[in-house]
Amino acid sequence: MTTHSAQLFSIATGSPEPIYRQLVEQVRRLLAAGQMAPGDGLPSVREVAQALALNPMTVSKAYSLLEMEGLLTRRRGMGMIVADRPGPASSSAERAELLRPTLERAALEARQLELDPDTVLSLFTHILKEQA
Amino acid sequence: MNIPIVRLSSISKHFGRSTVLDGLDWQVMPGQVIGLLGRNGAGKSTLLECLLGLRETDGGSVTIYGEDVNALSDATRARIGYVPQKSDLFEWMTPRQMLDYVKALYPRWNDAKVDALLARWGFDGGMQDKPISKLSGGEQQRLSIIRALGPDPELLILDEPVSALDPVGRRDFLRELIDGVIERGTTVVFSTHILSDLERVALDIAFLKDGRITLQGQLDELLEGARRVTGPGALLDGVALAGEVRRHRSLDGTVSVVTQNGAALGAVGTQAGVRVETLSLEDLFIEVTQ
Repeated sequence: MTTHSAQLFSIATGSPEPIYRQLVEQVRRLLAAGQMAPGDGLPSVREVAQALALNPMTVSKAYSLLEMEGLLTRRRGMGMIVADRPGPASSSAERAELLRPTLERAALEARQLELDPDTVLSLFTHILKEQA
Repeated sequence: MNIPIVRLSSISKHFGRSTVLDGLDWQVMPGQVIGLLGRNGAGKSTLLECLLGLRETDGGSVTIYGEDVNALSDATRARIGYVPQKSDLFEWMTPRQMLDYVKALYPRWNDAKVDALLARWGFDGGMQDKPISKLSGGEQQRLSIIRALGPDPELLILDEPVSALDPVGRRDFLRELIDGVIERGTTVVFSTHILSDLERVALDIAFLKDGRITLQGQLDELLEGARRVTGPGALLDGVALAGEVRRHRSLDGTVSVVTQNGAALGAVGTQAGVRVETLSLEDLFIEVTQ
């Protein structure tokens, strides 16, 4: 069991996606990918707020949402930890679904650029292989 | 908790023939952290000065903690901190002399915080003995912030507090605002053009336009709800969208509608030829203040 540091998170200002949403999605992705395991500790609200220069309310809003969804648990004296998952780790279909918002944005831009699907898909395939 | 600590009712302010504030109503609730946005010349400084009773209004009333702003008790005055856009420090004094002088005006003064900030923000050593007039714009602004934070105010009003600071100075200021101010439950109202800073700390934003607060809400909700719907006039002209903020027609007949209620778009957004986009705070600023 590890306690993750606030370096775990990064946020972008100037995005249409509110900052608390960005934090929620990051935790979801890290969990789905197994980079965070049940029992792992999360950095405290204050640590994240200080490290990222954010209003603490924004961080606690993200944590509360993840708690409501059952992904995190509040442990007395220890802050937030990753909840025990009843089932097996998310299926690849579930993990793919997490990618949808990002891909929808990319799809919108592709349409604006009037690119045909084949061109876009081959570019995406190329990028995936490049970074592997 | 739900009694506003600042209440502006029908505030009007004219300069010569130009109307800067036009029957403006606004309320600030305890614990809110509000970013005040508007174009240059929209009257943000005038609004904040009227709010603090530093500028006479031509009509309407302002109360702070339930007291008329023109007759504030000393006790209430001591609860308010203000960082003006242009620092009006006592220029012939050294930073330390000025702070000692100001300290004497307040019943409560946080020496530990002031000393820590002075050290952290580079006011140790030689700068202590320089007259304020010899400090740079950024140094004067930092000193002005320290002065405002000294009495641990419960209501902090900041007018472009970081305009003279470099990115490192701005980040230091944000950290202090988060750790030393917001965590204490202080109510904060600040105007700024630096939207990235505002996104980090403000939970609410208010837009000042045409002398009124035209749009106010939680930043998260505004971002999540805002959509720009663009399409041919033939499809959009006859349709009034819920929560419309702005409607604009280009010369080629394309109509663009900005709504703050994207969830209620329904079938309008799914028609062929109609495009729906989400908006960043900068997009929203441009749409709302134009």
